[in-house]
Amino acid sequence: MRPSSIRGLAGPGALVLLVALVAVAAPILPLFDPVRQDVANRLAGPSALHWLGQDEYGRDVLSRIIWGARVSLTVAVVAAALAAVVGTLLGVLGGYFRGLVELFTVRVAEIVLCFPPLLLALLVVTLLGPGATTLVFSLAILFAPGFARVAYAETLSARALDYVTAQQALGARTPRILFVTLLPNIAPPLIVQFSLTVASAMVLESGLSFLGLGVVPPSPSWGLMIRGARASMELAPLLLFWPCLALTGTVLVLNLLCDRLRDVLDPRGKAAGRPGFLGRLIALPPAPEPRQAPGLLSVQGLTLAVQSAHGPIEVVRDVGFTLAAGETLAIVGESGSGKTLTGLAVMGLLPAAVTPVAGSILLTGREGRVRDLLRLPEREMRGLRGRELAMIFQDPSSSLNPLLRIGSQLGETLRAHGVRDGVRERVVALLRQVGLPDPERAAEAYPHEVSGGQRQRVMIAAAIANHPRLLIADEPTTALDVTVQAQILALLAELKRAEGGMGMVFVTHNLAVVSDIADRVLVMYAGEVVEEGRVEDVFAVPRHPYTAALIASMPEGDAERLTAIPGTVPQPWAMPAGCRFAPRCEMAIDACRAAAPPLAELAAGRLSRCLRWKEMA
Amino acid sequence: MLAFAARRLLVSLGLVWVVASLVFLVIHLIPGDPAELLLSQGGIAPDPAAVEELRERLGLNAPLWAQYLSYMGGLLRGDFGLSLQDEHPIAEEIALRLPRTLELVGMAGLLATLFGVPLGIAAALRAGGALDRVLSAWAGFALSVPVFVVGTLAVLLLAQQLKLVSAGGYVPLARDPGRHLALLMMPATTIAVGLGAVVFRVMRSSVLEVLEREHVRAAQARGLAPGAIIRRHVLRNALTPVVTVVALHLGALLGGTVLVEFVFNWPGLSGYLVRAVEARDYPEVLGIVLVISIIFVLLNFLVDLLYAVIDPRVRHG
Repeated sequence: MRPSSIRGLAGPGALVLLVALVAVAAPILPLFDPVRQDVANRLAGPSALHWLGQDEYGRDVLSRIIWGARVSLTVAVVAAALAAVVGTLLGVLGGYFRGLVELFTVRVAEIVLCFPPLLLALLVVTLLGPGATTLVFSLAILFAPGFARVAYAETLSARALDYVTAQQALGARTPRILFVTLLPNIAPPLIVQFSLTVASAMVLESGLSFLGLGVVPPSPSWGLMIRGARASMELAPLLLFWPCLALTGTVLVLNLLCDRLRDVLDPRGKAAGRPGFLGRLIALPPAPEPRQAPGLLSVQGLTLAVQSAHGPIEVVRDVGFTLAAGETLAIVGESGSGKTLTGLAVMGLLPAAVTPVAGSILLTGREGRVRDLLRLPEREMRGLRGRELAMIFQDPSSSLNPLLRIGSQLGETLRAHGVRDGVRERVVALLRQVGLPDPERAAEAYPHEVSGGQRQRVMIAAAIANHPRLLIADEPTTALDVTVQAQILALLAELKRAEGGMGMVFVTHNLAVVSDIADRVLVMYAGEVVEEGRVEDVFAVPRHPYTAALIASMPEGDAERLTAIPGTVPQPWAMPAGCRFAPRCEMAIDACRAAAPPLAELAAGRLSRCLRWKEMA
Repeated sequence: MLAFAARRLLVSLGLVWVVASLVFLVIHLIPGDPAELLLSQGGIAPDPAAVEELRERLGLNAPLWAQYLSYMGGLLRGDFGLSLQDEHPIAEEIALRLPRTLELVGMAGLLATLFGVPLGIAAALRAGGALDRVLSAWAGFALSVPVFVVGTLAVLLLAQQLKLVSAGGYVPLARDPGRHLALLMMPATTIAVGLGAVVFRVMRSSVLEVLEREHVRAAQARGLAPGAIIRRHVLRNALTPVVTVVALHLGALLGGTVLVEFVFNWPGLSGYLVRAVEARDYPEVLGIVLVISIIFVLLNFLVDLLYAVIDPRVRHG
């Protein structure tokens, strides 16, 4: 809970409290009797005695507004409370016991939701006759299913959680689990639902009263007052205005309170992001564009940070590497090592929360021009993406738009970079090149109509469509079956041969595939480079305990996950002071924990961030 | 696609049958005798002879299954029975009034979509910007004003004070198309204020959600221009929840136009319903509830078809 969202609660909360207090205090306030008629002064305007004037029977309007608040709020709160109790009970029982109980609680309640709400209320009024009791009853019926749904969904997700299973294992009795353990934990969304329901119930109550089917005259109710004032609209327009204002204002503050409550208690639904592609924030100081850069891609001192309440947190720190044309570099590390962010930074596609704070990414283009991708305006960056730079993502199922045909998505990639003629032929040729069995038919297919491996082939086809100079493959085989993985790796290797000079950055957590595909390997840990070198050298003699542990944890077959290293990657906001791997390292000595070791160059192109690299042989 | 439509239609017809049976059961299984309920006024027990006579007239003395069969048979012939008040055929009155309500709801839905969808997109694309903040605040306000307050204040201001429009009423389309439309616009706009705010909110959050999806980033990685990404990879994907919400609300409005029809003297189905409720004319109430529920089911059928048009996965699934 952030203090700012709690402060946001204060305004609407105070206003709701004020309305409630005035309504509760109505009997002790110095008000006129709300039902005492004074026909001689009917429709009289505001006066010292009657601040808001008198209505069509000469009754005091201010008094009727305040007493009306009492009636409206009582009906709404009692109905919402009744609905909350009944609905929550149904939902919790249905969600906890599932099966037949669910059918008779939640599913039955949901039938009510199939009817238009006002219609259902009218049906109940037909059967029971108008009046406040009927009103409470019918509103409770209307709103109970809403609570049942919320409670059901929350119970479903909570019943599998540890604290509930633990209680079950300890032999706690079911009612105790339900109402002592479970209920407090699912309360926040229910509280939000309650405030929402009170507002809705007020609107419905006033609507029914307005129709003459709710609160029975002469009891004051805002709906009834609006109904009454309509007849004398021409003579006394203000009479109509006051109850409208009271009703709208109350519903408005209730809704506001509800929004704020949701922010505080149930922040899941809060829409976050700022879409990235309408403009990129370039926070880096400008730097002169270099004439020359080593190799195809040269990343230097790349540091990425996430903005947080406690200041920026560095998630990638001082990462550097170079890639020659035609070379393949594997970036290896566990989740959270920063390898994917590094790839995305090259593409200029970092999530909105992550900003580059230092470094440069130099790309030598087709025509020999060197650009710093970290400082390039979005417009120019867009021209490079898909043409000079391309990327393949981890999950081919979510990387394609499910609503568009495969051929259409490939075609747009060609058109975006100026291809005008023969797009269809090019698309089919590309699909054939990546080894799809029936390319003509595949072009007409939707993504869900082909297999996962074929979808990844399509993504690869899209990536190489405009013969990029640099291909970034972010775990392109992780989401695929093991047999398909090998095929995709073979395809990538083959394409690299065909597209002479294309460099590739292959991001993976799977060391087993590295030796198949890469020339050099860069090992990352907790946002830092810990080792770099030629694949043969690193596999033969790793010069960092982390790399050694990775290799040791590699089974003979294909490893799905690296599980053999004890401990986990430290969180970015809780980095150890010294070597970041020291807490998990068997070789760590006091010097390792004292200060962060530098990245040492052991030989040309061979780097290690370990103080004891010499002892590793 | 045809097979999909046929399958969904079958399900919908089954639902209509369930709804019709439910409506029948509600009135027959609820404690209390409908005839007695109808004749009792203010807690005074009605004359037993009168109750018996009414029971005979309504066919309530026949066994339940026989009543059910004759009720269902009537429905199949489009016969909803006679009004208790004036013995007028209910189906006839519904046939006269239903199109007016549908027209009102349709126009309101159209207006709400026309404003809500583009504004929702605009707000989402610049989420957190000035336009977004203004529109979101407005939507929050529009959602808080009860629809009959909007209508009443509109009549007060535009008709009574400024004399720009007439306060309400109805002229058949055939008699005077221009006047018909003019009279339609006030109640339709009144409904569209709240509905448009709902559409706006759903569209906004749906676009924001789609923008975060992987395939949008993949499209960016291919170098597509923002316009093309929004058009081809965001909007269509963002439409599904909007279709659901609009349809759900239109369905709810079929009964919810009661207030607006009352404010603007629009002689639609709802006014008929209110009158029936007031008179406790339960064959009328049931007939109207049934018709609205059937339309509700059909609307859901149309939504399913729309899903299939938007999303090929639904078509094949």
